[in-house]
Amino acid sequence: MTCLLLKFMVIITTVSNVLGDDFKEEIFIKPLPPTHLYSYFQFVTLVNSEKSFAHSHLSPRSLGEIISRFQVDELHLTLTEGQWRHKQWGYPVIDAAPGAELYAWFSQEVTDIDDQWRKLSATLSGLFCASLNFIDNFNTVTPQMALWPTGPVKGNTNVTSLLRYASLPREIVCTENLTPWKKLLPCESSRGFSALLNSRMIHNTNYHSIGVHVRNVCASKDCTETLLEIKQTVALVYDYKIINSYDWSFRKLFGQGLPGACPLSSASTIYVDITSNDTQPFKLTPPPDRIVLSQRGGSDTKLAVYDIKADGQMVNIGVKQDTKEKLQLTVPPPLHFNRYVLGYGKEFGGIVTDLVNNYWTAIDVVLLENAPWWLPIQLSSLRINGEAESKLVKSMFYSPGRSRQKPYHLELLIKLPPRSTTTITIDFEFVFLKWQEYPPDANHGFYIGSALISANLPTAKNYTSIPINGITYDSVINASKPWYPAVFRTNGAMVSLPTPDFSMPYNVICLACTVVALAFGPLHNICTKELVLKPVGTPVSLTQKLLNLFKRKKD
Amino acid sequence: MAILLKFFVAGLVRYWLIHLDYWQTIANRVEIATPLNSWKRLVEGVYLYDRNINPYDGDSFHESPIMLVFFHYLMKKVPYLLPLIFTVLDLLTAYLLYKTSKSFIRIFKESQEKHVSETADESKSMLLNDTQLDAASEYVLSVYLFNPYSVLNCAGMTTTVVQNLLVATSLWGASNGQRMLACVFVALATHQALYPVLLIVPIAILLADVNKGCNKCSYIRTLLVFVLCWGFLIYISAFIMDGSYQYVYNTYGFILTVPDLKPNIGLFWYFFTEMFEHFRLLFVCAFQINALALYVVPLTLRFKKEPVLLATVLIALSTIFRSYPCIGDVGFYLALLPMWKHLFTFMQQKFIVGCAFIITSALGPTVWHLWIYSGSANANFFFGVTLSFATAQIFLITDLLFAYIKREFTLKHGSSRQVDGKPAKLVLR
Repeated sequence: MTCLLLKFMVIITTVSNVLGDDFKEEIFIKPLPPTHLYSYFQFVTLVNSEKSFAHSHLSPRSLGEIISRFQVDELHLTLTEGQWRHKQWGYPVIDAAPGAELYAWFSQEVTDIDDQWRKLSATLSGLFCASLNFIDNFNTVTPQMALWPTGPVKGNTNVTSLLRYASLPREIVCTENLTPWKKLLPCESSRGFSALLNSRMIHNTNYHSIGVHVRNVCASKDCTETLLEIKQTVALVYDYKIINSYDWSFRKLFGQGLPGACPLSSASTIYVDITSNDTQPFKLTPPPDRIVLSQRGGSDTKLAVYDIKADGQMVNIGVKQDTKEKLQLTVPPPLHFNRYVLGYGKEFGGIVTDLVNNYWTAIDVVLLENAPWWLPIQLSSLRINGEAESKLVKSMFYSPGRSRQKPYHLELLIKLPPRSTTTITIDFEFVFLKWQEYPPDANHGFYIGSALISANLPTAKNYTSIPINGITYDSVINASKPWYPAVFRTNGAMVSLPTPDFSMPYNVICLACTVVALAFGPLHNICTKELVLKPVGTPVSLTQKLLNLFKRKKD
Repeated sequence: MAILLKFFVAGLVRYWLIHLDYWQTIANRVEIATPLNSWKRLVEGVYLYDRNINPYDGDSFHESPIMLVFFHYLMKKVPYLLPLIFTVLDLLTAYLLYKTSKSFIRIFKESQEKHVSETADESKSMLLNDTQLDAASEYVLSVYLFNPYSVLNCAGMTTTVVQNLLVATSLWGASNGQRMLACVFVALATHQALYPVLLIVPIAILLADVNKGCNKCSYIRTLLVFVLCWGFLIYISAFIMDGSYQYVYNTYGFILTVPDLKPNIGLFWYFFTEMFEHFRLLFVCAFQINALALYVVPLTLRFKKEPVLLATVLIALSTIFRSYPCIGDVGFYLALLPMWKHLFTFMQQKFIVGCAFIITSALGPTVWHLWIYSGSANANFFFGVTLSFATAQIFLITDLLFAYIKREFTLKHGSSRQVDGKPAKLVLR
């Protein structure tokens, strides 16, 4: 039996080599002392760039068809619940905005990008059971500086005009999104690392984000040919309080052990960041296959590596803490930020974004404020550290919004001075919507999407992202670069818009029309009738009055 | 001397209010500043224009490009003089209204003399003498200078100050028979806020009356000059915006389609908040016709002998029914009313209207605060207040017109209310 299975697997492997599809699965686990644990899953499928997807092997055909049908060059979709705390947790491998976030670069051949964009979001909405169909022109922006494609681009392309970005901060992420997401994997959830993604357990976390990232990658050094990379990611942040212990294991985190690797994968690797072992000693069980020391951008990282085989053996990696009393001092990352809403009442307010640079050199960041149309911001009220004309702003892009048509889009390229806090304030006015534009439970409030912060970090401290030309997680090892690009999302915010009385439409229509009629009646009389003197008769008795009612009017 | 003192005090009050710590609150009041005229939006528009961003790209600016360039120049060159400029513009409006009322009294006297033969003998005593008439223009001046509505409007530095000046200038021009002046300024006012387009009718009649001669030729000439001026302004505005007519959607389009439902003292905001989407277009059309076209023809036919009264009533009606009214507009037509001081004795609802004005003016800000800041009231409260404010204004205007026809009747038929010795009453038939 085992022999037969092995033979079968060999055949599969050869077939996969022939077609050029390659599937890899990886888990990266990093303790975020003192109280949290970050686990990041990534499933990478490399597809030989045959754009038709008439035959698909390991790659999900449903997604492939969307990519080729809508001529998408690069696509990033994340569905996130919770808020990544950059100050306490450092940086995630891939940051995501709370709710749903979608951005894509289209191919140059697309003529009507806005139309294609709407179709793409509507189709993806069906594929992932998410409300992405709410994406329309009124919540889409074209970032000018904040986002750049991660795949190779032809030299003379104006990539900015091909980009569309939208986020739906109100979107709630749940099992219904995870199930279709898992179906895109070659092993679905029956084998491999995705078997760990048990919705009962992962929706119990402080932060969870599932994502699909599609891009082109170079097939060779000279990049004459490209491969399509479909990367599916899951990021989870566990609270030790929720798992009820500082000792974690797969069984505690995911409710079960790992039933071996996916037989279709060419590599299944687990990385555990054990750098914090020096300060907060713990013991890994079972012991890792090897330990790798990575020196990257002035920070040393120790990674314990497990190579998982598809032998069906249950793997249960866990950690036992030696002492729990030790106090840990968390060092905040070089750049962190905070965003909040100012003001009281429902008439005027302001959005404040604090950007903190802890590093000893200046950091250039691009801040993208994307205010929905119902939150009109006033550019004239933009203040940076309280100044209207700040020297810190190197470049600015602003596109004013229009009600029910397009959002307010502000991008600032700011040079953050070393060891400083930069406060960016902008005022907004509350908008009074039509009664049918309010969502159900209108007094719950309206979500403002996150601001995008794009930075080239001078140091890799707390930085866990895969380098831009890397595909698998092992490319982070010793990947020192002059700078480390990162795109972060600030926390979102919420405002409570003034509401009308929803039960009043008929009354209001009647009352307002009555007032108009109050003018019309007398004016009509004045214009069409003339004044005459009419004799006043003797007072009529009640019976006469009653009789008069039935009489026909003579004059 | 007394007039100078009035100007001085009124100017001082306005200038002082602009420099008050509460200025921001005044300038942001929902009764004073609408999306159309608020100082904040003007600043935003000029700021965007200064940075080479087309302010008509978005929804933040709804003034005409001419105003944009005018204020851009002022804010760049003399930003410190702006409070003074606003004060002076408002005082100038008051002065022009004063001059207008003087001219009107001249016209009124002439027509009174002309019609003295038709007056019943017993009503001869009702004819106005010079002292009575001269007092009227003093009242006009005082009302515009010290009416809290116009004072606050100026203190809020809204563009309605400019609007009022343009309308006042055109009225003054018309009452002095200066066709060019009247047409240019009414075209400027129309270009800014659309609704003053109504004024071309009384102005044409007034010009024909004052200039004597061929009436029809005068009407056509006035209309022609106005249309040419307006067209020229539209063209100039597009020229300022580099040949793009996009601004039309942000100025006229914004006024006509009412996309911003921020509460104001008018009838539109809550009505179109609560409107069923299906009927929105129908009711937008109905309400705009009501404000723009409905009353012009009948009132013109009825009051063509009294173009100034027609102008007053049309200004008032368009103020009540326009999409984004503010108290600056109300203050303006209230200042015209003292010209009809002699009708006040025939008005029946003075007390009710007066009380309603006072009560709604006090209640409006109160319920607004309760709704928006305390959260203890809701939109209906504020809607109720604006509704009663509109009703009070409507009563005032219809009462004025009734008073006019009653006086007309009394002058003609005497003040006795008897038919063949029997008691009788005045009714409309």
